[in-house]
Amino acid sequence: MSAASFLRGVRTVFRKELKDSVRDRRSMTSALMMPLLGPVMFALMFTALARMVRDDKPLEIPVRGAVHAPNLVAFLERAGAQVKPVDPAAGEVEEQVRSGKLDLALDIPLGYAKEFSEGRAAKVLLVIDESRMKTQTQVRRVQAILRGYSAQMGALRLFARGVNPELATAVQVEEVDVATPEKTAAAMLSVVPLFLLLSVFAGGLYLAIDSMAGERERGSLEPLLLNPVTRAQVVAGKWGAVVLGSWLAFGLALTGFNIALSHVPLQDLGVRAQLGPREMLGAALVLLPLGFFASSLQMVMSLFARTYKEAQTYLQVMMLVPMLPASFLSISPIDGKLWMMFVPVLGQTILLNDVLRGEALHPSWLWLAAGSAALFAALFAGWAVRMLSQEKIIFGRGAGA
Amino acid sequence: MISVTKLHKQFGKVVAVDDVTFHAPDGVVTGLLGPNGAGKTTTLRVLSTLISADSGRAEIDGLDVAAHPLEVRRRLGMLPDARGLYPRLTAREHIHYFGELQGMSKGALEKRTGELLELLEMSALADRRVDGFSNGERTKVALCRALVHDPKNVVLDEPTNGLDVMSTRAVRTLIRKLREQDRCVVFSSHVMQEVAALCDRIVVVARGRVVEEGTAAELLARSGKESLEEAFVSIIGSETGLVQ
Repeated sequence: MSAASFLRGVRTVFRKELKDSVRDRRSMTSALMMPLLGPVMFALMFTALARMVRDDKPLEIPVRGAVHAPNLVAFLERAGAQVKPVDPAAGEVEEQVRSGKLDLALDIPLGYAKEFSEGRAAKVLLVIDESRMKTQTQVRRVQAILRGYSAQMGALRLFARGVNPELATAVQVEEVDVATPEKTAAAMLSVVPLFLLLSVFAGGLYLAIDSMAGERERGSLEPLLLNPVTRAQVVAGKWGAVVLGSWLAFGLALTGFNIALSHVPLQDLGVRAQLGPREMLGAALVLLPLGFFASSLQMVMSLFARTYKEAQTYLQVMMLVPMLPASFLSISPIDGKLWMMFVPVLGQTILLNDVLRGEALHPSWLWLAAGSAALFAALFAGWAVRMLSQEKIIFGRGAGA
Repeated sequence: MISVTKLHKQFGKVVAVDDVTFHAPDGVVTGLLGPNGAGKTTTLRVLSTLISADSGRAEIDGLDVAAHPLEVRRRLGMLPDARGLYPRLTAREHIHYFGELQGMSKGALEKRTGELLELLEMSALADRRVDGFSNGERTKVALCRALVHDPKNVVLDEPTNGLDVMSTRAVRTLIRKLREQDRCVVFSSHVMQEVAALCDRIVVVARGRVVEEGTAAELLARSGKESLEEAFVSIIGSETGLVQ
């Protein structure tokens, strides 16, 4: 058979599979919607996180009677607060807080200085509206600063009287908050490679099922094979369609993340993440060869199933396996070793993480990983060709008379 | 022209075809008659190159099917037991797909598709998706795609199975037309009356062997029975017609 007539048969099968799957809602959902799920979720979560951080703006404390307590005001400012005088023309302090004009206010009465210098508990009024959830963080922070000032002054007083201030502090509680927004953001970024990898496997999933298990279940495989085309041509045509679905999904996921990352205010989170043309090209070089592997693997698996539903179960379970290295890496990064490049999916996962961290790729590693994926892909495709020649595959459960 | 010589095929210990020999010349409708499980379908699958025989020979236009599978598939139009269609494609798209796989040119394909749709009275349904077609309509689509390349040899495996009266008539008309065009037609059936009505020659298969061969009148005369059905039962040598 000449190359031209071989390709002609392949193209016919390929075009039919594409036409068929474009009309299939399930195939289209898995190729077009699934890959966008990651970027959309990602954008929403990041925007929410960034808003939380932005709300962490400098604390503003409206103070009335600041002149009565210059030391306290200085302490507040040292603690990072911006002290502002309350506008007396706008009404009573309580009224301004109640109406929501002010989130909170500190009222320092006239007698403060006298009480303070006499060594008594000097009274200040923190005017708040407990029912307003929004201001609770601010209130907590002001309270903490005031407690700190009180403790410091108290300690100084004890010290002046020759008493160790520690006696007055039975338990000292120190809070260590490890959940900084920056850390959360970094953890979220590590799911990007996971989603990209997932898209490669999800894109052609239903095409693979329909073109193999579906063909068997419908009883259309036998008529198809009665045509003067070889099994290799049939497999190649179907494979091409599945690979295209896989690539399409990957392209969408990549573009989706590119848009999401450029619109999300990452700098607010102190995260440096780049998914520019350089990184996108790198990711494509790493993952496009994997599309061949994922597709032929899915086709073979699908051939083992007798029905569409059965294939669906196999393939969805199987999709978890390639996700393992990626999930593991997103939790604890490991250094890539040369042998890992020979393991499809694992090699790509390592390389993809390097790409997204902005590290330079070893060209030889890239080739090795692509070559190994291609080799396994070809083996699986060959296996699919062999299976299509088996009587029990063509005719269902058994080739009875 | 189709000829099968001393064909033998078994699956594990089960002998599906024991020893089948028959010859089907051009311009003749040859009926393969036998009860279910007699080995008809397996014989036809060997002919269609999808199963390899353990021994014996099957030829189409003098070509050994095992040695020249692609050329054989070009010369053969087969309606197999499985008539699965692609639910999201239209009738016309089915015919076009198989025509392209047969390597037909675009012009010839358009022309032939029109002819077949006309012949099987499917023109009105041509551009509807086959999802929701009746059994008869589905069989007609399967027939169209099997015959799209205008093959010299036509093999139909129980073509009227599950069809209503109108569809059955359409299939019978088609078979007669194919004979007029000097094709070699082989069709299998387990319905005696149908075989008698359509076939010039009848090959009776039972338990994987050819047990009788001839025209309907010859079979009747040789069996010494009154009716064709009686003759059939006595020829296959079993009341139920099943392998004993």
